[in-house]
Amino acid sequence: MKLNFRRVSFTYPSSVRALDGIDLNIGSGEFVAIVGENGAGKTTLVKMLVGLLHPDEGSVNVGDWDISEHTTAELARRVGFLFQNPDDQLFERSVTREVAFGPYNLGFPKRKVNTNTLNALKDVGLAEKAEINPYDLEPFERKLLALAATLAQDTPVLVLDEPSIGQDEHGRRRIGRILQDLHKKGRTILLISHDLDFCAQYVERVTVIADGHVLEDGSAETVFAKSELLQKAALIPPQLVRLAQALKMPSTPLTIPGFVRAFGKQRIGSK
Amino acid sequence: MIQIKGLTYFYPGQERPALQDIDLQIPSGQFCGVVGPNGAGKSTFCYALTGFVPHFFRGALQGEVKLGQISIADANLGKLAGEVGLVFQNPFNQISGARFTVREEIAFGLENLGLPRKIIERRVDETIDLIGLGELAERSPFALSGGQQQRVAIASVLAMQPKLLVLDEPTSQLDPQSTQDVFRILDKLAGRVGTTVVLVEQKLEWLAAFADRVIVLSHGHVSLDGQPQKILSDEKMEKFGIGQTQYSLAAAAAKKKKLVPKSRDFPITLKQAIEFFK
Amino acid sequence: MRGSTLFVPGQTVIHHLHPFTKLVITFLCLVLAGTLPSLPWLLTCFVVLLLPLAAIGRILRPFLLRSFAVIAPFVTSLSVIQGFFTPGQTPLFHLGSFIFTFEGWLAGLTVAARILLALGGALLLMLSTRPDRLMLALTERGMPGSLAYVVLTAIQIFPRFQERAQVIQEAQQARGLEIHVNIFRRLGLLVPLMGPLVLSSIMDTEERAMALEARAFSRPGRKTSLLLLEDSVWQRIARWTIMVAALGLIVLSFWLKFAR
Repeated sequence: MKLNFRRVSFTYPSSVRALDGIDLNIGSGEFVAIVGENGAGKTTLVKMLVGLLHPDEGSVNVGDWDISEHTTAELARRVGFLFQNPDDQLFERSVTREVAFGPYNLGFPKRKVNTNTLNALKDVGLAEKAEINPYDLEPFERKLLALAATLAQDTPVLVLDEPSIGQDEHGRRRIGRILQDLHKKGRTILLISHDLDFCAQYVERVTVIADGHVLEDGSAETVFAKSELLQKAALIPPQLVRLAQALKMPSTPLTIPGFVRAFGKQRIGSK
Repeated sequence: MIQIKGLTYFYPGQERPALQDIDLQIPSGQFCGVVGPNGAGKSTFCYALTGFVPHFFRGALQGEVKLGQISIADANLGKLAGEVGLVFQNPFNQISGARFTVREEIAFGLENLGLPRKIIERRVDETIDLIGLGELAERSPFALSGGQQQRVAIASVLAMQPKLLVLDEPTSQLDPQSTQDVFRILDKLAGRVGTTVVLVEQKLEWLAAFADRVIVLSHGHVSLDGQPQKILSDEKMEKFGIGQTQYSLAAAAAKKKKLVPKSRDFPITLKQAIEFFK
Repeated sequence: MRGSTLFVPGQTVIHHLHPFTKLVITFLCLVLAGTLPSLPWLLTCFVVLLLPLAAIGRILRPFLLRSFAVIAPFVTSLSVIQGFFTPGQTPLFHLGSFIFTFEGWLAGLTVAARILLALGGALLLMLSTRPDRLMLALTERGMPGSLAYVVLTAIQIFPRFQERAQVIQEAQQARGLEIHVNIFRRLGLLVPLMGPLVLSSIMDTEERAMALEARAFSRPGRKTSLLLLEDSVWQRIARWTIMVAALGLIVLSFWLKFAR
């Protein structure tokens, strides 16, 4: 499902101009990282996809829906939104009920609710803790629980706000795998993350937001290579990119195998 | 000097210990990193060093934790506060709420310690300089960003001049810029005489640059313990569920493909990686 | 992000008065509000006592704005109630079989003026005194530190709850929770909206308590203060004088009542 932002501007009641004439088009099935400094406007932008904010100027479309014509609850059918703080959502007695909350609200038939819930829990690795109270889980598990809840909504679009915070390597890989699977299934994924090392391994496209503008938008290889630009946006390029640039490699490897291949080529080239 | 002997701890009502048979010595002034997968007991370890285990959480503590001459298990938690400092992940929860400016927030702990006003003023000024909070000193702590709040939290604890400063994933919720700011502060601190720093972190690249020593916790045990160079490039880290820096992983892959002589040491920082791949 | 205090920062004489001096003035206003016999007395006191103090404190505008904001509903409701239902001789107009009298209206306005004077004193205190200074004055005289802490954190952290409630509502809406429902379904919204707020606040409380411990909050022994409250012999004399006068007024008004 494609997403369109047309000349979107937004100013908060406190007079902070968060977005300034943003044009952004995301094709169906794209896997995009939205990066930028805190306060640059990333969250403001993506909140519009679920209608939590409406642009002062311009329009936002989720597929063929104009967001101004639908409630947030309706948009939740198309866009699954993972908020940064899981504790803002968790309240049910058990992990299972928590994950089922979304599907239930969306009016799925009982069987679908159960299937989605079970699969989501399996994906995040919480299937064994199905009957535990969410607040008895560790913080990093609650984060995975919130992710499961979003997955269970089975939406064509997913927006994830800093999903890898507080996760160890195991958790990060698990989340990465989940996102890769979803990408293969054709879902449109927007990933907001400071962790460029995490993004680099999975995303195809990167949009850099700074001061309410799109600073840069392009393929991951192109954007991550632009160190000065990233630093202007208070970001640190991925480790492999920094290394490749220090070694004066012509390409921008984002994964370990990619780096090794590029290094091998460079070796051969210099012999 | 911190001495830990046979430390085993059970949270109340738990059958499995959160920490098992930990034996460690941490010399004064050392910058000690602690890594491990989630659930390994890293936070519990922090609590044990600062007295929250057993005093705040109750539970069953076996073994001994000594800070110099003070036995943590016997000490009074309130009295320990001047000797040890603990910084948590969540910046917002560390703002006391009882003070209206950053300056007064930093002074809060010193007021509780009953120090004379002149000394409080001096220490607050010094700490504000050290951490670089000059511009924020008169603002409300609640009007700050997460990164700024975390710096205030560190300042507030540091002003109390603890002999031991423990930080439990302090940069977890911060953006890269703020993370860098925190590590710069810790680096400044490591150079200071006397303050021992124990830092729990997931961001290995940063730890690699600053720590004197790395301890690996796994399932409540100390699994590895030694110099960052050795530990962070050790492939066993995978087994313990801890990643490695991309530099180490790339180096390992390159070695496998025989692109680089096997004898070269694994890099853990950018500088080392550049040397490695030349 | 503003806190929810009324405090207007400033460096005036009024701001620098010891909180107890201002507290005593508040008490005086309370006593005057209760003992002064009639509307002209009450209004004169308000104008002659409180307005100059507010002006010196450069808080005249917020003082007037807030006074009238608070008193307006009282003036309206009391005028209506007393105007129609308190017996009086001079009818002003009819509404059906109800007669609105001048004396009744006056009685209503008098009650409103009492409220105005009493609240005015409190408002002067709150506009010119930062809450932590007031708490410090009280703890120096023996109030438990933990009570002061509770008051101050309630003032500063409560607005955050409100912000948080908004965030939670948004998060639950994004899970398909329909907010715009009729009044009966609204009750069902209570759990998913309040649940996360209450539950996570409990969790946060544990971490907050630990952070407080880390600042030696529970350390036995005397606490000192960075803030220094200015006081002077003159202020002390003034406080005692005003207290005596206020108590004298109370005695006088009782005596006058029973001497009738």
